[in-house]
Amino acid sequence: MSVEEILDIIREKLGGIAEDIRYVESAGIIVRVKPVNLREASHIVHDVLDAYFRTMMAVDERPINNTFAAYYVYGLDDKGINIIIETHADPYTPVLPSIADIVPAADWYELEAWDLLGIRFKDRKLYRFVLPDDWPEGLYPLRKDVDYTARPSPRITYKPPLQGPRLPVGPYHPALHEPEYFELFVEGERVVDVEYNGFHVHRGIEKLAESPRFTYQKVPFLAERICGICGFVHSVAYTLSVENAAKIEVPERAQYIRSIVLEVERLHSHLLWLGVACHLLGYDAGFMHSWRIREKVMVLAELLTGSRKTYGINLVGGVRKDINMDKITAIRNTLAWLRSEFAKLADLVTSVPQIVRRARGTGVLPRDEARKLSVVGPVARASGLDRDVRRDYPYCAYKDVSFRVPVYTEGDNLARLMVRVEEIFESMDIIDQLLDKLPGGSIMAEKIEVPEGLIGIGNVEAPRGEDIHVVITGRGRPYRWRVRAPTYQNIPALKVMLRDTPLADAPLTIASIDPCFSCTDRIVVIDLKTGKKEKLQTVSIPGGCGCEI
Amino acid sequence: MRVDPLKKSIWVFHLNTGSCNACDIEILDALTPYFDVERFGIKLVASPRHADLVLLTGPITRKTLPKVINALRAVPRPRYVLAIGACAVGGGIWYDTYSVIGGVEELKKILEENGIEIDRIVYVPGCPARPEAIIYGVAVLLGLVEQKVHGEVKIAE
Repeated sequence: MSVEEILDIIREKLGGIAEDIRYVESAGIIVRVKPVNLREASHIVHDVLDAYFRTMMAVDERPINNTFAAYYVYGLDDKGINIIIETHADPYTPVLPSIADIVPAADWYELEAWDLLGIRFKDRKLYRFVLPDDWPEGLYPLRKDVDYTARPSPRITYKPPLQGPRLPVGPYHPALHEPEYFELFVEGERVVDVEYNGFHVHRGIEKLAESPRFTYQKVPFLAERICGICGFVHSVAYTLSVENAAKIEVPERAQYIRSIVLEVERLHSHLLWLGVACHLLGYDAGFMHSWRIREKVMVLAELLTGSRKTYGINLVGGVRKDINMDKITAIRNTLAWLRSEFAKLADLVTSVPQIVRRARGTGVLPRDEARKLSVVGPVARASGLDRDVRRDYPYCAYKDVSFRVPVYTEGDNLARLMVRVEEIFESMDIIDQLLDKLPGGSIMAEKIEVPEGLIGIGNVEAPRGEDIHVVITGRGRPYRWRVRAPTYQNIPALKVMLRDTPLADAPLTIASIDPCFSCTDRIVVIDLKTGKKEKLQTVSIPGGCGCEI
Repeated sequence: MRVDPLKKSIWVFHLNTGSCNACDIEILDALTPYFDVERFGIKLVASPRHADLVLLTGPITRKTLPKVINALRAVPRPRYVLAIGACAVGGGIWYDTYSVIGGVEELKKILEENGIEIDRIVYVPGCPARPEAIIYGVAVLLGLVEQKVHGEVKIAE
């Protein structure tokens, strides 16, 4: 179906309420509506056209057109095109209708827009979400009139533990390792509810990229530091969005090199996760073997890019390091070794009863719930949603390679494990194909000019799922850069996965989304009947993916 | 208080104060078969009360600050900290953003206001710090190797 045909459908469905419908090649079909029509437009796009909710960007556009703007990005997966609902709110008292009941996945985005930009959403509960509790009221860091260094002095307050059997006790007691925090409400051995308290790793990246310290070419290095595990994904997504917006022609060879490094990163990330999953199930032999194999991938990454992590080879317009014959030989040797070693490990892991029996049937996420929450990546694919950004919205060199997207319908922990195991094999095949087809030529675009006021979307299939960046270009640096990491979409699904399941499965289920919280996860268990609290388990989960920007 | 050098196997506690995880996975890398620091008796523990050494990674974000203070208060004396990575050493790329306090130096000031003393900080720079560098940092702490750089400010004439 061509863009024109989709435009016709949208004109037919949304023509009555839209102020303007236009097609922008770098982003998608932009439909501008008045705030009063936002709910209806969201309903039509999300439910009638069956588009997948991808991200929402709230922008302080007061210096440009004296409004606060919100862009809701939906994707038509089978057509590979985005539908963006644009709406503008009043500059003095910005209020928008909430769409969280129509699009459940939009819940967090609204809370974040309220916290960081001060946009109020009607008919819903708004509370402090991203910023710390002691942050002063009325100071919204993402507004353009607030300096990025605005740093109100912290007040260190200790909250007394809350009383009563149904209340969470002490979310702020020495939380130690983990910058994220889950509270499980249990009745006996069964989990009845989950509460999430996160955003401890909020470092103000989006604001920093708009600051005078950064330029277009420096932001990729900042983007890599969003996450220490899948950082290259973020830098590619950023560069893609800027390149799309400014229509920069990236040489083919650079695109291939990006794809190769992306797949190397996927290998290391999935091997890391597999090890952690084994560790959580008490199968430490699998953990150690997985990490032993992974070390070779880290050495390979160092050979290709110069560092084990935070590769730093990406720029707007191309890459900084070329691949020569020596490196190609090294990649092939490593892949051959990896194939045989990983095949053995995969056989072992998928046959050991202590893993299979613990993982099968636990942490189930049914397909309809997964669709409602718009989950991404292996979590979606394990619940029967056949989505893969590499195939649906091709970028870099993925249009030139063929690969299989593993899809399982069970939606349990075993399905998520199997998806990742199969993806490791697919990744190795993809790297082989890319090396076979690697074209010659330069690795950097010759002309890089980024005009102002353009919108661009870049998406990358990260190891954890779809990573999507939206950029509005400005003078010398992005005017607004919105990052949506995959775990942002997946954490709300934990509520469904954990509810009414045995407590013992909780650590594995939480880890099964390959969550973003850094390193160690501590779960406080509250017994609803006795009000007794205990710490469930402290486990080292190197699962992070700094989803909190 | 006189600080005795550590003599026996050291147990480490991993304190992530807002890190991007790159340093954290390198710590884990040091614990797994390729580097295998457990052969030196270095073991990761789950509670700060059991720890001889705190591995601090990441810039200190405002939201983690109260928790970091509580965690460090629970560490028994002598209280050693290994600041791993550029962010922990000096705030890194985030040194002046709105939601970050800064590196371990700023943390130290706040800790002193709260009456918590840190006996020694060893800095391991890098973004991320390599596993070898982390192991070297522990060796510096134990006195097995000489510290190469000292915190003196030299002003050119």
